[in-house]
This record gives sequence, structure tokens and C-alpha cells, in this order.
Amino acid sequence: MRFSSNNRKVLETFYKNFYYLVSLLLFSILILRLFQLQIIHGKRYFVQSEKNRIRAITLKPLRGRIFDRNGEMLVGNQPAYSVYATPYELQSWQGIYAHLANILKIPEDELKTIVKKHQQGKFNPVKLKRQVNFETLSRINEERLDLPGVGFWIESKRFYPSSARVAHVLGYLGEVSPDELEKFKGEGYRYGDVIGKQGVERQYEKLLRGQFGYEFVEVDALGREVRKVEEQKPIAPKPGMDLYLTIDVDIQTLAESLLGSRKGSLVLLNVRNGEVLCLVSKPDFDPSVFAGIITEKQWDYFQNHPNHPLYNRAIQSTYPPGSTYKLVLAIAALESGVITPEWSISCSGRFRFGARNFKCWKSRGHGVVNLYQAIEQSCNVYFYQLSLKTGLSRWADFGRKLGFGRKTGIDIGMESEGVVPDEAYLDSHYGKGQWTEGMLLNLAVGQGDLLVTPLQMAQLAMILANYGKYFRPHVVKRIYEPVTRKEIPIKVDSSQVQGVSHRVYEIVRQGMWLVVNGASGTGRAAALQDIAVAGKTGTAQNPHGDDHAWFIGFAPFDFPRVAIVVMVENGGSGGAVAAPIARQILQEYFRKYPVKLPKKMAISLPVE
Amino acid sequence: MLDEFDLKKKFKYFDFSVFFSMILLIGIGIAAIYSATYSSGSAAHLNYQRQILWAGLGLIVFAVIVFTPMRFFLAFAYVFYGIAIASLLLVLVIGQKGSGAQRWLGLGFLHFQPSEWAKLATIFVIARLFTDCRDWLRQKYIIALVFAVVLLPMLLIFKQPDLGTALVFAPFIPSLLFWGGVSPMVLFSIFVPFLTMIASFNFYTFFALMIIIVMVLILSKRELWYLLVNILLNIVVGIVTPFLWHSLHEYQQKRVLTFLGLVTDPKGASYQLIQSKVAIGSGGLWGKGFLQGTQTQLRFLPEQHTDFIFSVIAEEAGFIGGMIVIVLFAIIILRGIKIAASARSQFSSLVAIGMVTLLLYHVFVNIGMVMGIMPVTGLPLPLVSYGGSSMLVSMAAVAFLINISKRRYEY
Repeated sequence: MRFSSNNRKVLETFYKNFYYLVSLLLFSILILRLFQLQIIHGKRYFVQSEKNRIRAITLKPLRGRIFDRNGEMLVGNQPAYSVYATPYELQSWQGIYAHLANILKIPEDELKTIVKKHQQGKFNPVKLKRQVNFETLSRINEERLDLPGVGFWIESKRFYPSSARVAHVLGYLGEVSPDELEKFKGEGYRYGDVIGKQGVERQYEKLLRGQFGYEFVEVDALGREVRKVEEQKPIAPKPGMDLYLTIDVDIQTLAESLLGSRKGSLVLLNVRNGEVLCLVSKPDFDPSVFAGIITEKQWDYFQNHPNHPLYNRAIQSTYPPGSTYKLVLAIAALESGVITPEWSISCSGRFRFGARNFKCWKSRGHGVVNLYQAIEQSCNVYFYQLSLKTGLSRWADFGRKLGFGRKTGIDIGMESEGVVPDEAYLDSHYGKGQWTEGMLLNLAVGQGDLLVTPLQMAQLAMILANYGKYFRPHVVKRIYEPVTRKEIPIKVDSSQVQGVSHRVYEIVRQGMWLVVNGASGTGRAAALQDIAVAGKTGTAQNPHGDDHAWFIGFAPFDFPRVAIVVMVENGGSGGAVAAPIARQILQEYFRKYPVKLPKKMAISLPVE
Repeated sequence: MLDEFDLKKKFKYFDFSVFFSMILLIGIGIAAIYSATYSSGSAAHLNYQRQILWAGLGLIVFAVIVFTPMRFFLAFAYVFYGIAIASLLLVLVIGQKGSGAQRWLGLGFLHFQPSEWAKLATIFVIARLFTDCRDWLRQKYIIALVFAVVLLPMLLIFKQPDLGTALVFAPFIPSLLFWGGVSPMVLFSIFVPFLTMIASFNFYTFFALMIIIVMVLILSKRELWYLLVNILLNIVVGIVTPFLWHSLHEYQQKRVLTFLGLVTDPKGASYQLIQSKVAIGSGGLWGKGFLQGTQTQLRFLPEQHTDFIFSVIAEEAGFIGGMIVIVLFAIIILRGIKIAASARSQFSSLVAIGMVTLLLYHVFVNIGMVMGIMPVTGLPLPLVSYGGSSMLVSMAAVAFLINISKRRYEY
């Protein structure tokens, strides 16, 4: 090596000189280039900088449209006008603020704040007001001699041509907030731009938005636009991608009208791929309200209305599931081997446990019932006793295995997880030893601290329909790239419930068949003429008012295609309120997408 | 032994030309940042104040480094390197765990620091490897080891992904291997094929390079087979590269270019370059005057207070101003080479040449970029561009040069 060599001095000089040479070479390149630019071509560039100032103007892309599964447009674009002003001009002309304030009907101080806060240099125009009406527009046009530097941009706003609202799936757009500006720094959002605030508009913001384009204009010494630059080709904005939803507008429209003015939600899932065919949350809102300028009063209404119309009840609200959740207990008990389906009890209409009487919904009692009959008739006493045999930890365990207590992962966002109480949960909530086994009895019939979202219940129905296989529910079916005209399909994630055997599903499914088709089934109102429906009703008590009506189910029984959940807040009995709605939805689905299958007796009851 | 308390002696070998060049460059930078953000009218206007704060902090770091003995850095070279690699890994893990905007912010805050730290740590570890391997390792081992310690942080930073910063590490390999004494012919054989790859896109450059290669090989007076293998290798690389390139689809080529950081700007690099070149060119000999640059004040320049700060200086202070900046950098670099050559230990010598390489690469790539002779990669101009991390690392690099020069006669 160099440092150990004998003729060190000579070598050292050689290395040093070599590095000097390389450095000087590099510096000479820089200096020569600088000389070339500034001295040789300096005059030309100077002229160019004086006369030929090129500025890049951002061109906004058209936001992607949204269609239903069959190509019917749900969300489109239409033109809207925004007023802008150049800060330099505003500063140099007296009285222009007052004039503008008068036309735009924004206080002068507020205008000044907007400009001060959002200007980027003196010569970049600042957007003052979005979506001005025609009258304002024509005034600005007429008085434009008194309004130097003021102009308007043509932008686009959303419009909603469909008969269905689909409000909570689509979501809405709003002006980008200061927080969002900070969060998406570097992605080109500017004050006054819109951004998806909820639903698909929010979740697929990046795809829907598209990419900015640029146009190159020449500006004069004061930064005013003089002409478009021909030498520099504009870069066209890349329009946002169109989304095709899994929603079927016809079914959605029917579902929205069936729930009508009631509070509640309804979800119809394709059990073969997790597609959401309709998703309704009521009360809803008219998304076109958000396409315009939202007044403070309107915003207040949406935010503070006691019924929370912006809330997506199907995925954000959590409720006690009532008797629909008995299916989970049945699976837990069968799979753990604590009973066989033939295990029977005698229901007298109540069950005494400790010092309390736990009632069955039928005060006369159901008599002797086995598991099939207990599911069919939704016998509380049977499940009270079953819960004591099964125990809290197994019950909670199977609840979690079947998808409760966690998000389904639907692509709308802001989903709730719900609560599956277990020992640790009850300990931390009520204190160790402060809760009794009576709580377990409550949980057995879907009451108490157990909380689920309607979508989780629809997912349970899908799991039962598929013998444990389930797909991530999703509302976007495919993405259409308008430039390349390519379609990007959505990847569907599927999972399999672990630790529940085919036999157990078989038994529970048979119970569900009886709920709709049995002589004393609680869900007979959901039955269709020629398609076998299976389901489970629920009537969940709640401390704030009338019972919540639930129905979950799937159809056709033998080759399931769809799973459904209907949930009506304070609606009353599940069998009387929710089941008939489910029937109409299923009927519409099978009318539109018919199956050629004979109605078939699925089981023969075990002989006693 | 030097008297510890004799300040006069302590500063006897303090390299004032390097020190004052650094101070001048920082001063020029602050003035240029002031001008670049002068007309923005928003909070960016305070950038120059922040830059002053960073420079103040940098001076503290500077003083600490200058008065710390080099043997301390020798002893902790592996530890520094280990910390750098660990923190780079951490950034990658955190980056993957987080989702959406969190990952963004997390990365935005974290990713810069470890990669800046890694630049210095990598220089130390290479210098240390040479010191450790002096007695028992032969050339090929040191070559492999240096490749390994450089490619590891490069890969981690590349994954972040930050290609511009990752590439900063690449020149360490030839520069430090050569300075460390690895046979020039071996290095020639390793690195020239890469040059051939680039040159092969134009027949004349390729032909010229081939002639140079053949001449160098003949002058080297090596064995005939060595000669033939080298020539053959370069010819094959020269023929295959363009062939492979043209067999790619246009979108694939675009992807490769984007991957290499050559197409990053959505506005089209041409727009940025035109504006930068107009700014520099229109400055002429004397410039348009402080705060008088139309390109700067009308905010035509992209990133004008960070990566394109040189354009601001060249527009407002002209060829004279631009030359002053280049000459000040040249003073630091050339003095740095001298310091490296006269350092008293191989470790110090290699550290010094590493710092020289680091600074020279940044200066050449950045100024070359704003003048349109290097691709737009987003590297800052050391000591001048706005930004805390860049300021601290460049001041530290200069501090090491001064430290080593100051100690050159200490025994």
C-alpha cells in the first residue's frame, strides 16, 4: 500500500497532483459553462428575461366520474366559475377591495385575509370565491375595467344524475382544509381546491383527482399574462380515473325507498366476491348539496342534527345485534362439542338465574325445543342455558373468529370495529369480580355490551352462506383509465374462518332455513316464492327507545349468491319490520339477476 | 508535543483560507436566501433567519469537531457506521409500518438525518478499514470491503426512496480506493466499463473512449491477455448496452429514466432548466443587483432558495458573483487535497480526501444541474442552499479538513 511504500514522497506528489487535476477540470467545466451562459449568450438571455417571461400555469384535470355496476352514471362533472385576483393589482389600485367585497359579498377584511394567507408571490392569482352565480359573473365582466387583475376560472363541480342517492357510499367533496393542506403537502393542493371528505370520494381521492397539467404563458414585466407560448408545448392534465361501483342502482333505489323515512341501514353483498350491491344508511343526505357552496347553516344542520345524516350507519354505527347473534353462540357451542343439535330444553317463557328472571320473548314459552327449533323460533331460554354451558371465553373467541370486533376493511373508510366483550373487557369496565354471569346470559341473546356494525352482520351471513369463506366487502368494482382506456380490476381479498367445521355450518344453516321456511319460523316474512331464503331475525332492546329490528340472511339456500342485512333503528320486531324489507330486496335482486333453480327442501327434520 | 494551553501555537496550523471561504459562502447563501424569498410575502420570508440559526448551530458543531482528536473518530468509526446503518434500517421499518399520511410525515421528518449521518460515517469506516487492513489484507479484499460498506447504506437510502442522496455515496468508492493506494489499473478495469455504458449511446464518444482505453492499456505495459480482456469487455459493453436499451419499450425506457431520477419533474425538466438558464444567463457580467433579479423576484425559478440557489446568485451578482462562489469552493477543495496529502496518518488522510470527494460531488452536481449540464437530481449546494441538515453536514466536512490540517505536525 501507498503508506508503507518506500518512495512515499514521489507517490504522494503524484496522487496529490492527480486529484488537483481532476478538481480543476471539474471546476473549469463549471466556469466555462458559466462563461458561456452569462458572457457569450448573456445578451440573448437578458432579452429573454426582460421580454419573454414564461410562466407555467396549472391546468386542473377533470375529476373522475363514478358509475354503478351497469354503467349508469352516479356522479358526473359540470362547469362552475371561480373568481380570482392578482395580489399585485389589489395592492396597487385603491378601492378595489371595497369594490370586490361589494360584488362577491365577502367583507373587505375577510378578502384581505384570504389574499394574505394564500398568496404565492405577488403575481400568482389567488382564488377568492368558488362557484359564483351568473349574476356575479356578469357584474365582474361588465365592470372589468375597474377590476384590474380580477378574473374567473372555469372549473368543474359534481352533479348527480341518478335517481338513487347512494350518499354514504359516494361521500362528498369539500374545500381542502388547512390540516389537509399540511397533510398532503407536495401533492399540489392549493387553497380553494376541493378534496374528497367522505366515502368513495375520499377513499379514492388520488385516483379520482387525476394529474395536473401545465400551460406555458408569457407574462409582462409585472407578471401579467401576455400570450401563450408556442415553443413550449403544454402538458395536458391527466383526467382522473372513472370508478365503476359494485352498486346496482335499481336495487339501491328500491332499498332507499323501502327504508324511507326510517332510521337504519341495509346492505346487500354478493357472497361470491364481497361486492356490495347496495348499501343504504338512513337518514341520508343529498350529495348535490355538497357540490355547491355549503352555507354555515347547512353545515350546522348536517353536523348537529340529532339523527346524524352524515353518519354511515351501515359501517360507522354500532348496535346490540339481538337474536341474530344467537347464531354465533350456536356455532361456538357446536364446535366446542358442549352439545349436539339434538340437545333439548324445555322453555316455560322464563329462566331463573340467581335472583333474576330472564324472559323469553314468548311469555307462554316454546315448550321442548332442540337447537334447530331454538334457532327457528329464536328461543331465548334455550340460548340462556346454552351460554352457561359454553362459557364467556369460547363465546367471545368464536365471535372474533367470525369477524366481530374488527373492521371488515370495506373501501369506504371510517369504519367502526364494534365490541366483543370478554373477561378482560368486563373486568376493565366493571371492575374485577363486579360483574356476574347474568351478563353472559344477556350477551347470549345479543344484548348488553356486545356491539356490532350492520356490515359485520352481513359479513356473518356471507360466512354462513359460504361455509366459512368470506371476501372483503368492497364498493369499487373496477377502475377505468380514460387516457389509455384500460380497465384495472380490483383485487378481491378472501379469507377462511379458522376452526369451524363444515358440519357445524350445516347445522346452523339448517336452523336459518327453518327461520324463513319453518312452520313457526320468526322470519317467514322474508320468504320468496321460488327461491329458498335462509336467515335470522333479531329484536334488540335498547335503553333509548323502541327495539331495533334486525334481519340477516342469504339466498338461494343451496347455491348462495347474496347475503343481506336489514337494520331498522327503533323499528320494533325484526320478523315484522326487517324481514319484509329483506324479502323485497331479494325479490328485486332475483328478478334482475334470475337463477334457474327449483325450490328445494333442504333438510328433513331429525325425528324425535 | 504541542503545549495544550498555548493558543497561538494551537492556531498556527489552523487553515484560515478554508475557514474564511466557508464563512463567506454561508454569508452569500444567507443573502441569496433572503433575496430568493423576498417577494413571496408569506412565512417563507423568514427562511433566511432560520438559516442564520442553522449556521450558528453549525459553528458549535464545527468547533467541537475541530478540537476533537482524530483518534476519537478512528476509535468509534465502526460504532458510527453501525448507528448509521441501524437508523437507516429503522427508517425503512417505520416507513413500512405506517400507512398513508403518517408514513409521509414520519419519513419527512426522519429520513434525512440518518442518510446525512451515514455520509460521514461511511467515510470514517472506509478510512478505518484501510488502517486495519494495512498488514494482512491484499488489494482484492479491501476492494470488496469498501464496495460492501458503501453499497449497504446506498441500498438502504435508495429504498427510502431517495436516489439523489444514494448516488452521493458512489464516488467514495473510486476516490478512496485510489487514494488508499489500490492499483490504478485494477480500478481502471473495474470502473471504465460503466463509463463505456454511458458513452456507448453516441458512436463518436464511444469511439473516442475506446481509443483512450487502448492507449491507457498500452501505456500501462501490462500482459497481453490483460490488455485483450479489457478491450474486449469494453467493446461488448459498448455494443450490448444500446442494443438492450432500444429493445425496451418506450414506457420501459421511461421507467428506467424515472428510476434513475432523470425524469422527475411533472412540469418537464425543460421548463425548470429554461427558467434557470435564463436566470443565470441574464445576469451577465455584473448581475442585476441584489433583490433586482427579475427571474428570482417574479418567482420563475423552482426551488430557488434550496436546490436552485446558485441561479439566484448568478442572476443578481452575475458572472463575478458566480465565479466568487466557484472560486471559494475551489479554495476549500484544493486546500482539502493538500491537507489530505500532508496528513500525518493514513486514517486522517483518507477522511480528508473523503470530505473533499463529498463536497466536490455536491458542488459539481448542483451547479452543473442549474446550468443544465447535469441531470436534475435534487442535491443542495453545500453551505449555500437553505436547509439545516445540509448545512450541518457540510460544515462538519469542512471542520474535519481544518482539524486534520491543524494536527498535521502533532506527534
